Amino acid sequence: MQMRPEVQIAAMIKAMKDVVIPAVAGTNKLAEEQAKLVVGMLGLMAHQLPLQFRFDRDELTRLVQASAAMKDVHATAPSARAACGALIERTAEAEQVLDQCRRDPDDLRRSVHAMRAAICDVVDAFAQSGSDDQQKVERVVLAMSAEQLLRDRSLVKLQGWEPDPAAVPEIESLIG
Amino acid sequence: MLTIDKNRPTEAWIAQLRSRYPCETEIDRILTRKLRQRSGPGYEPVSLKTLVAGLEGLLRANEVEDFSIRNPRWLSGGASKLQMAFELEWLRPGVGFEKTAMVLRMEPAESIVETSRLREFQLIKSFEGTVPVPPVFWCDPDGKYLPYPALAYGFAPGVPKPSQAVSGVSGLGTCMPREVREHLAPQFADILGCIHRHPFSPGALSAFDIPKEGTTECAEWGVNWWERVWQEDSDENVPMLSVAAAWMRRNLPVLDFASVVHSDYRTGNFLYTEHDNRISALLEWELGRIGDRHQDIAWTTSRAFSSLAEDGKTLLVCGLMPEAEFYERYEKASGLSINPKTVHWYKVYNAYSISVLILGTGYRIARNGKTHQDILVAWLIGIGYMIVDEMRKLIEEGC
Repeated sequence: MQMRPEVQIAAMIKAMKDVVIPAVAGTNKLAEEQAKLVVGMLGLMAHQLPLQFRFDRDELTRLVQASAAMKDVHATAPSARAACGALIERTAEAEQVLDQCRRDPDDLRRSVHAMRAAICDVVDAFAQSGSDDQQKVERVVLAMSAEQLLRDRSLVKLQGWEPDPAAVPEIESLIG
Repeated sequence: MLTIDKNRPTEAWIAQLRSRYPCETEIDRILTRKLRQRSGPGYEPVSLKTLVAGLEGLLRANEVEDFSIRNPRWLSGGASKLQMAFELEWLRPGVGFEKTAMVLRMEPAESIVETSRLREFQLIKSFEGTVPVPPVFWCDPDGKYLPYPALAYGFAPGVPKPSQAVSGVSGLGTCMPREVREHLAPQFADILGCIHRHPFSPGALSAFDIPKEGTTECAEWGVNWWERVWQEDSDENVPMLSVAAAWMRRNLPVLDFASVVHSDYRTGNFLYTEHDNRISALLEWELGRIGDRHQDIAWTTSRAFSSLAEDGKTLLVCGLMPEAEFYERYEKASGLSINPKTVHWYKVYNAYSISVLILGTGYRIARNGKTHQDILVAWLIGIGYMIVDEMRKLIEEGC
């Protein structure tokens, strides 16, 4: 999917800076101030988005460590005992989550990129060699593309390009 | 794995692309220029004052004297070029003193469709007096006077759609009322026939290479052109585009008759005057080439530009006329036949080229801040998936 926050945010910032802010400058102070804040907020989003997952994982690690450091405390009051018990349960869940979140989302995207490129190379190589299996390779890609493109179209359905939007299922139902 | 930094192209990589994807000389020149300039700055807003100063330089270089540029203002519309409307008070050769309404059309730092102003200039010029085109006056093909390559042409009267009509971005999906389309439809088919029958002179169209009839050279140049752009601009690979390129190369059609091809002939890209419903100007010639008429036929009859008639069933080519009627009228006007198989091939070709522009070039230039409307270019990325899917279905039909 090429419609991603990095390009969306960059384009929005440029539109605000180059067109919108100069247009309202000096004519509407409130609009000018808020337009500049929109640019600032978008810039912050562009900075935060690639780090957000690592940031949250880092925080969860610290919270788990803090929980471990609390193991030695003696809870005598019933409410404290209950709270510590709940903390132990949450910590066990958090450790599982951390275990499953060792890879960055960027790894997933890089892998998608690498697989796309590798499949394209196979298609190109078979096309150049004129091998008998060329059309077999292409049929696999055609079938895979039918499924993927349905999801791509669904993900941007809100834009209103589809002549018959009802024929394209909602993305939530397609990606599990 | 060797990684290419497409934002900082090396000379070696550029040379490799040029050698692997041979295309027309002028297309090669502008694509090479694009890559060589890519690592440079993004698009910075240009003031009207700067454009007026550049235009003055262009006029003086063309020996226009005693002129005055009046009322410069921005024109909106289109996703690829900047446009400034103005009036020129000047001594027009052969006419005398005149106040002429004009438009300056200039590229941004990188455009969603990288084309040659020289080709556009030559092509429009060659059709003056033959089909309705705006008069073209001057061209700055290398951006010698203006910040980027540009051309100046006469402001044509008319509207691209009825004042009351509803349509999407770039005139897509325009619904023409019956009383308007009854007048426009025959003209629309006849003019296309006229374009395809127009005798072109290699001297007047020096920025164009002429493909050999009786060979697949024309189609091959086209595939090379767009595959090269895909390699130059794309971020993530799309396996379906690789399959499409392989399919096209396996099924290259033979060119039976070389014609001028407009390449973007559709509702939204012509003006007509509402008082008499006459087509007054054909616009958007920038992708024009000397090639195969089936490219235009396939483009014009694309579902993307069609709309339904009032009965809710009849699909109208460009919102104007049923497909069978369009074919019949066109064949009569041009005296040229339509080969359905070649039309099918060019439907795949057109879908491929537009997918390349939207998913590859659109992403690259918006990400690098290269245009005056990155937000529109980024927004258009979304339609790319529907077009690729349409191409997939066409290929499956043709397998």
